[in-house]
Amino acid sequence: MSVGRVIGTEKTSTQVFRVVLDDDQYLQLDDLVVVRTQVPQAGEIATYGIVTESEAVYEGASYESDTFRIAEHGILPAQKVRSAQVQVTRVDPEVWVSPDPGELVERASGEARDKALYADEMGRPLPVGIGRDGQPLYVDLDFFDGRKGGHMSISGISGVATKTSFALFFLRMLTGRRDIVGESGANMRVLVFNVKGEDLLWLDKPNVLFDDDARTKWEALGVAPTPFPSVGFWAPPRKKSGDVLLADVAGRQEGVQPFAWTPREFIDEGLLRFLFTDAGDSRNQLSFVEERVRSQLQRWAVDVVGRPGAVVIRQPPVGGWRRGAEVKLEPGERIIEDLPSLVESLEEFLDPPDGEEPDRTWSGRVQGGTVSAFMRRLYAAQSRLGELIRAGDSHRIDRATAQVTVVAIQSLHDLAQRFVVGALLQETFAEKEQTGQRLPLSVVVLDELNKYAPREGNSPLKDMLIDIAQRGRSLGVLLVGAQQTASRIAQEVMENAAIRVAGRLDAAEAERSEYGWMLPSTRARARLLKPGTMVISQPAIPVPLVVNFPFPPWATRREEVSEDVDPFVGL
Amino acid sequence: MLYVESWAPEYGAPIEHDPSLAPSESVIDPTVETTDWRPITPESSVADAVEAVCFVDGVRRVDARLTLDEPEGPIPGLCGSLGVGATHWDRSVPRATFGDIMIERLAVIGSGRVVDVPPVGNLKYEAVSVAGTDPAELVRHFHNRMRKAEAVLSSRLAAEGHLVIADGPINELKPQSVIGYIKTHRVNYLGLEETEAVRKLLAGDRTPMFLMDGHIYARYSWYLKLADIPGGHTWSGVVRCEVPASLGIEQAAIYADIAAVLLPQTAPPLHVDPRAPQNLVPIGALERELRRNLGDPGLVYRALRESIGQSTNGAA
Repeated sequence: MSVGRVIGTEKTSTQVFRVVLDDDQYLQLDDLVVVRTQVPQAGEIATYGIVTESEAVYEGASYESDTFRIAEHGILPAQKVRSAQVQVTRVDPEVWVSPDPGELVERASGEARDKALYADEMGRPLPVGIGRDGQPLYVDLDFFDGRKGGHMSISGISGVATKTSFALFFLRMLTGRRDIVGESGANMRVLVFNVKGEDLLWLDKPNVLFDDDARTKWEALGVAPTPFPSVGFWAPPRKKSGDVLLADVAGRQEGVQPFAWTPREFIDEGLLRFLFTDAGDSRNQLSFVEERVRSQLQRWAVDVVGRPGAVVIRQPPVGGWRRGAEVKLEPGERIIEDLPSLVESLEEFLDPPDGEEPDRTWSGRVQGGTVSAFMRRLYAAQSRLGELIRAGDSHRIDRATAQVTVVAIQSLHDLAQRFVVGALLQETFAEKEQTGQRLPLSVVVLDELNKYAPREGNSPLKDMLIDIAQRGRSLGVLLVGAQQTASRIAQEVMENAAIRVAGRLDAAEAERSEYGWMLPSTRARARLLKPGTMVISQPAIPVPLVVNFPFPPWATRREEVSEDVDPFVGL
Repeated sequence: MLYVESWAPEYGAPIEHDPSLAPSESVIDPTVETTDWRPITPESSVADAVEAVCFVDGVRRVDARLTLDEPEGPIPGLCGSLGVGATHWDRSVPRATFGDIMIERLAVIGSGRVVDVPPVGNLKYEAVSVAGTDPAELVRHFHNRMRKAEAVLSSRLAAEGHLVIADGPINELKPQSVIGYIKTHRVNYLGLEETEAVRKLLAGDRTPMFLMDGHIYARYSWYLKLADIPGGHTWSGVVRCEVPASLGIEQAAIYADIAAVLLPQTAPPLHVDPRAPQNLVPIGALERELRRNLGDPGLVYRALRESIGQSTNGAA
């Protein structure tokens, strides 16, 4: 059905044209249109486009006050003309000519809509939201799961709570549309960090506020509106929780498992470096000391009989300690069961009590001040890391037990948060590096990415994220990063994100070059986006799409949890 | 006292000084309505019953000058386009719309010759001839065609029951609801005492009517003031209106009152129109619309050259 004609008072181009609308029709922002033009020798060319602005004017009015003469006094004849600006998304077949003036403009629906959005060319079009016409909009999954591109970056000011919500919505699509995701979906593992409140600890519970309106939208997207079917929840242990580890969460008790690393795991995996993730640490020589201490620990630490996970630092025999070797504790030796005892042991080598020189085999040839600074960092870490390092049975996070693993780090100090993120990312990446296989996919959702991969400075965590951004695509490690301001993120990380998403942006932020992928009209609107509305750019479509994503069927707060089970049954 | 005229200089002045304000040759009777010559301020309610007003106007344009090359010497001609239409002011909404727009194209040749102009694209020029060879006579004939078309349209709209404001003097005897609207004053029809009343007019006032006779037909006429012009002289913002005398003095007075109430409402502020306030908003807009309908002058001229050039070369 035609809505108007291509305006002929100004030039049309292969980029933009304007439509003058019929009296009884309208076009709104983001509507999709198609114009068919007869091109000499080339035949019929279809030009597809998306509405980027809507306009209206009195034709015949030359002064602003003419408006009164037209509308109020009625003495000046004029015609109300409504028009729309259209950004061309596609020309099919690819003969790049502008549409003819005066041609009929139709709404693109059905097949034409798919063409306008390149959905017909997408190998695996995954719905990522709903357009204004109530129909799904798609991203080409090939550009997320590593086949042609990888990673997703989500920007937006906080408080409007859309970044995490959208990331989760996207994950639900990813896990719910096996028909589209295909083999990439098999055994896919998702790692999500809960950094604010306890919003993500209810992903497996139905939302009591979920209504029929939202249900219809979910159905349009082809996913049954249910909570995530397979979620594992992990939280750091409570302080002073004794022999039995209890998860440090306030709202939810059942089903949340505590996690921690034993000193043995800490040393074997070289997690020490994730205690030096402050961007300022790289400027001095702390990393030299850290590297030396890390490798010394790996050589000297040996297990203790009858104390699983604990180690003692003892001069290794020639050829080093055999893997799995256990020794009996000798009198005067310090057993390492947690971070404080490890720090005390290191103190003996690096900062001897009676003013002796540090042991050069541990400290390397650095200034005494650097060694002191290294120790100060360790002392500070002792209390901040709390119970994350402790001997006993292994309490590592087991990502194999559920499809989605939620790690609650919101209660931890910044330093400890970076430590946990670093340790888990390293583990995930190392695992994939070993197998060298892209599948099964491992998706990591990381909010406040600017904390971990800031634009300025260096840290082992930033290096690793850059590594993931650059190589993760071929190894099947995919990063969904979220941040308030893309301009504060390491450029390598941003550049490698094939799919870019933005929610409401700060006005000044929206003008930055990081958002160059937006149209000027989209930028202007980015300040006004409501929760639930995002702008998505992807390599497969030359213009950004504005999508709505529906209310989640899972709870995001304790109050939203709808308990199907009567808690009083059996009393 | 010295004043700067309110119209932009290229449009002349609402008062033409040569042979301006010369005593009229018509028979003037200023006593037909009253002998007490003072400004009249009609109640605005007199116009309440007027639901719609039609403003009729025309424009013309010489598209090309022609020359018929004959053994006895060159014969002048011209191709011209004229447009006539109306602005309907529906006061009940209120809204104004254009209507009854008619475009005519004429090929006028002198010396009584009729020469067909070949079709120019979609444009068809009607061939007419005048007796003389004076170029001014050609233009006059062309102009009269426009005046005639305006008069026909005015009469038709009046017959349909509309109150019509027609641009220019009226040239119709029969009683009809057409008010002639004259923007410029070339002739002063009044004596000193009556002229004093014009000088005292305020916006929305009119003078008493006076009878003008001695031409081919009689009409009642009056002056009215559209707007008070800051810094203007006493004749600024003043226009003259006329209706056929056959309407009778009472009906004429009603129209005079209505015009005094309604016309100031349609007068543009000074900055909006170079001929403000006399060039009423509905008329100014209609002229622009008509000119637009005449088509782009450059394109029409080019098309005429091509078309006539081809047919001449083809014949030769």
